[in-house]
Amino acid sequence: MTTTTEFGIVYAVHIITTHFGSVVSKVCDCLLRRGPLSSREISRLAESDINHNKVKDILCLLIHQNCVQAFSVEPPDGSESKATVQYIALFSNILHRARYSKFAKVVNEELGSQCGGVLEALLSNGRLTLEQLIDRDRDSKKSIGSEAMRDSLEKLVAARFVERVPSPEPVLGNKEEGPAQKKRGAKASKIFKEPESLEERILEAATPVDAIRFPIIFEQDSSSALADEDSNVSEKKRKQPDVDSSGPSNEVIWRPNFEELIRRLRHKACVEIVKERRDEGCANVLKAMLEVGRTQEKKAKTDKSVPMSMGSIYEELIKTDAGREMTQERVEECLEQMSATSSYLPAFVIETDDSYIVDFKSIFSVAQKDEMESVVMRRYGKEAFRMFRYLSQEDRFVETDKIADAALTEKKDTPQILLKMWKDGYLHMQKLAVTGVYMPFLLWKVNKLIVSRQMLDEMCHASLNVSLRLTHEMDSEKELLLLPMEKLEGALKERRIKNRAKIVLLSSTRFKLDDAIMLFHDF
Amino acid sequence: MSTRRRPAAPRSSSSGMTENEKKILGFVRSKQGMGATKYEITGGTSIQQALVTKATTSLKKSKLIKEVSNKGGKHFLAVEFEPCKELQGGDWYVDGALDVSMIEDLKEICVNILERLKQKVVTLEVICSCFQKASRDEYKLSRDQTKVILDNLVLDNVIMEVKSNRSSEHSALRIGEVCYKLIGKKSGGGEARDGAFASIPCGACPHIGLCTPDGAISPTTCVYYQKWLGI
Repeated sequence: MTTTTEFGIVYAVHIITTHFGSVVSKVCDCLLRRGPLSSREISRLAESDINHNKVKDILCLLIHQNCVQAFSVEPPDGSESKATVQYIALFSNILHRARYSKFAKVVNEELGSQCGGVLEALLSNGRLTLEQLIDRDRDSKKSIGSEAMRDSLEKLVAARFVERVPSPEPVLGNKEEGPAQKKRGAKASKIFKEPESLEERILEAATPVDAIRFPIIFEQDSSSALADEDSNVSEKKRKQPDVDSSGPSNEVIWRPNFEELIRRLRHKACVEIVKERRDEGCANVLKAMLEVGRTQEKKAKTDKSVPMSMGSIYEELIKTDAGREMTQERVEECLEQMSATSSYLPAFVIETDDSYIVDFKSIFSVAQKDEMESVVMRRYGKEAFRMFRYLSQEDRFVETDKIADAALTEKKDTPQILLKMWKDGYLHMQKLAVTGVYMPFLLWKVNKLIVSRQMLDEMCHASLNVSLRLTHEMDSEKELLLLPMEKLEGALKERRIKNRAKIVLLSSTRFKLDDAIMLFHDF
Repeated sequence: MSTRRRPAAPRSSSSGMTENEKKILGFVRSKQGMGATKYEITGGTSIQQALVTKATTSLKKSKLIKEVSNKGGKHFLAVEFEPCKELQGGDWYVDGALDVSMIEDLKEICVNILERLKQKVVTLEVICSCFQKASRDEYKLSRDQTKVILDNLVLDNVIMEVKSNRSSEHSALRIGEVCYKLIGKKSGGGEARDGAFASIPCGACPHIGLCTPDGAISPTTCVYYQKWLGI
């Protein structure tokens, strides 16, 4: 489920403004704030009236850049009305625009710089056919040739970093989720499935099956338009029909697969957290476990991995240099360590019979807790920190005096500290009136979901602030930055060096803050 | 007829008191060190609130009862009793105020014990026995008091509580027994990372709710940003 907070929207709109200008961002703002709309509705509701044709052009741009998805809803049975095409803003994909360099790094490390170059082309252009990629390569200074381009694209698709574009206008069934429709079989009825949001339903409807989404790329042959249904795909060369051919030929259109890219970043973050909290050995074991379970993850934001045996973990581990230095006994020790619970750390791995499961939720809860507690410590002080940690542990409503006793704080100061945190949305408060007692009791609780949402909103706000400050610093010394460094001396050189240092600090801060945003929003 | 005013009769602990005052004094005395609030006196003696107020004022003037204030409100105690720990706030309160320096001293002693014994597993009993051997009386903590100090160190994120398992370092303990160790990589506890958000001015800012791109408080004019960027 996408968590769209107020400053999340403001930040997303800022990203679109920076990349495409304010007129485009007004359309985006309208969709983010009001939800799915038709093009006519956008034209009517967007600030500073944009005419309908302009709105359509902007929507085409945003769809091409994977920031918007079109869809329609089947009209009710028996109705003669036509399905209206509506558009939904893809909040997550908009935020992804600020982390393209991280995605490129993942691919560069795994598949090399040639594949990294192809991915970067797709990231900056939104979506391209192979022909368009080859044309761009031909025009570039460091051309790698069409064979290498095709080869790189094949590798990217095989690794699922790149996918065929989704269906341009999927149709959602207009069905209510009644009891009759939920009966699919004994097994299905036992599995509780959380209700999907509209965005999830749209994306699911738009996404083709894996065989179409990640097809095997053949040599492009313009004479064969359709696939031969009876033949073995790997033996014959043919052209795959595209679901959305916007180019002059019916070539497949490719785009980055953000789901897989986020999955890799998620796994990387898991390994980092375990390395910081445990040790390198545990991190290596976890890395192997993530590799074993990766292809079986149904969605990027899964809570737990599939169960895996010690044997399969060890087999994967010894493929790496670091893993070959570990004995099976050491691996068992690491698994035992990661399965242990303390007041400080929950278990990262669940041991069941002869298999092990990675508990992603648990691993990320540790990092999220650190972020929350760091803010509480810095903003409200050490006593507030103890109170917050106590309430997080208790996970229930607790009366003021009991909090003061547990946190060893002055009873008369405790309410003020708690009220400050409550006003900023870090605590939940309830008043309990008791007969015969003049003042009602105040009860306090840390509601992790609400605090996470509050933190996410503030982090988006902070990211926006850092971006604006970065632009301000660059603009304020625009002329100085144009001068070559060698020609500067004395005070000007000093100023240039200082300005450079500020830009580096702000850029690296934005980078790290984005990791924290992913921790709360994407992981 | 004489216009001289008769001199007022001297008040003693039982004479010169109204019936209400006697009743209230008896009730307050029965509560000993816990004392009683006005509400409790009203309920316990069935005397109206206004009359209770009048009577308690009079008894205070006569120095037969005294008033002790705490979070729960005003409590009246008979003068011969000292307020109990609960009324003062608890074990860690002295004269109605939290003894912060003593608490910090006790925490430091705990940390030193854990530092000294970091090669071993430290249970509550071990730490208790160290406190029992303390030279200062006020440092001779009971088991419950020691637990409170340790729990507070856990909340400070300085130590962690672990349950003994089958591992070699816990071989001398029952499985599931609670023990303590310092937090830190060397102790095998890892270190909490400093949050990315908390390390920038916005993370610590109390005015983030008022900050807007073009407002009076904005990132381009923010004094915390000026300081952070070294301007």
